[in-house]
Amino acid sequence: MALDLSMPILVVDDYKTMIRIIRNLLKQLGFEDVDEASDGTEAFAKMKDRRYGLVISDWNMEPMTGYELLKHVRADTSLAKTPFIMVTAESKTENVIAAKKAGVNNYIVKPFNAQTLKGKIEAVFND
Amino acid sequence: MAQPTATEIGRVVEFLQQDREDVKLNDVMDLAERMAQSLDEAVATTDKMLHAEFRSIAEQISSLKREIRDLRPDQFRFERIPEAGRELDAVVESTQDATETIMAAAEAIMAADASDPAAYKALVDDKMIVIFEACSFQDLTGQRIRKVVKTLSWIDERIESLAQRLNLAETGPAEAVEESEDERRMRELMLNGPQMKGQGVSQSDVDDFFSMSDQEDIDKLFD
Repeated sequence: MALDLSMPILVVDDYKTMIRIIRNLLKQLGFEDVDEASDGTEAFAKMKDRRYGLVISDWNMEPMTGYELLKHVRADTSLAKTPFIMVTAESKTENVIAAKKAGVNNYIVKPFNAQTLKGKIEAVFND
Repeated sequence: MAQPTATEIGRVVEFLQQDREDVKLNDVMDLAERMAQSLDEAVATTDKMLHAEFRSIAEQISSLKREIRDLRPDQFRFERIPEAGRELDAVVESTQDATETIMAAAEAIMAADASDPAAYKALVDDKMIVIFEACSFQDLTGQRIRKVVKTLSWIDERIESLAQRLNLAETGPAEAVEESEDERRMRELMLNGPQMKGQGVSQSDVDDFFSMSDQEDIDKLFD
């Protein structure tokens, strides 16, 4: 899958500053079309309305977590193939294994840098 | 109810063992008197025991009250804990303010027109000063957090002292408390939060895991 800089990206995080950081990093990488949601419920509703090329989601949110969002997305035939990267402070082995089992494409442990974000996005689209 | 003593029973047995073919009213009254005497002694013994028990319980309650008073619960409730909460709120607020200032400065630099090098340099210099100034929040938050840590130590010392004086450590492990709805959610959704340095997996560990192409290797992790 080729990396398309014009693809819409959905960033999901309940912490506005983190959304702003990821949005700025994506902008530096050349992505201009960045949308946002503050939890899994809002993100899933947005995904039903618009086809995103990539979802970058936090794990720990209320009421719907990023992990639940991932499972909802993979269970929905129209959204199941959407590339999904988890960006989270949840760094226990059980979290990484559960995310992988649920079908996440890559996993970034917070705090992270621009190089890691770029590398993981490229890895997802080079697979 | 206390059991009659051997002496009391002996008196009644002695009375009944006598040859009583023609029991008269006086005999019945005599028996009743002996029974009453036996009962009086039993009640007197029980009363003493109960009195001693109640006095012991009262002493223990007084001692517990003294221990709790020494713990100064009002200071916990009305001073130390609310103050620690205010300090942490102030930390969150000043961190948020500083982040906002630094990000706004960085975004202004990112959006600046670099076609006029002199103007661009002036803007960058100006924003850099703003960023340096904003970073001074760290000094204040450090001081505030040290105060909160001091309060937690203060509380910990007092609870530890109370537990030692009441010998709570010798009562064995606490009974299992029923899991709350919030705790259940955290466990089921694996909401573990950030790990301490050296705990949890690193980005490098995660990368190694995601590079596993052999399904068998991945399956082993679930065994």
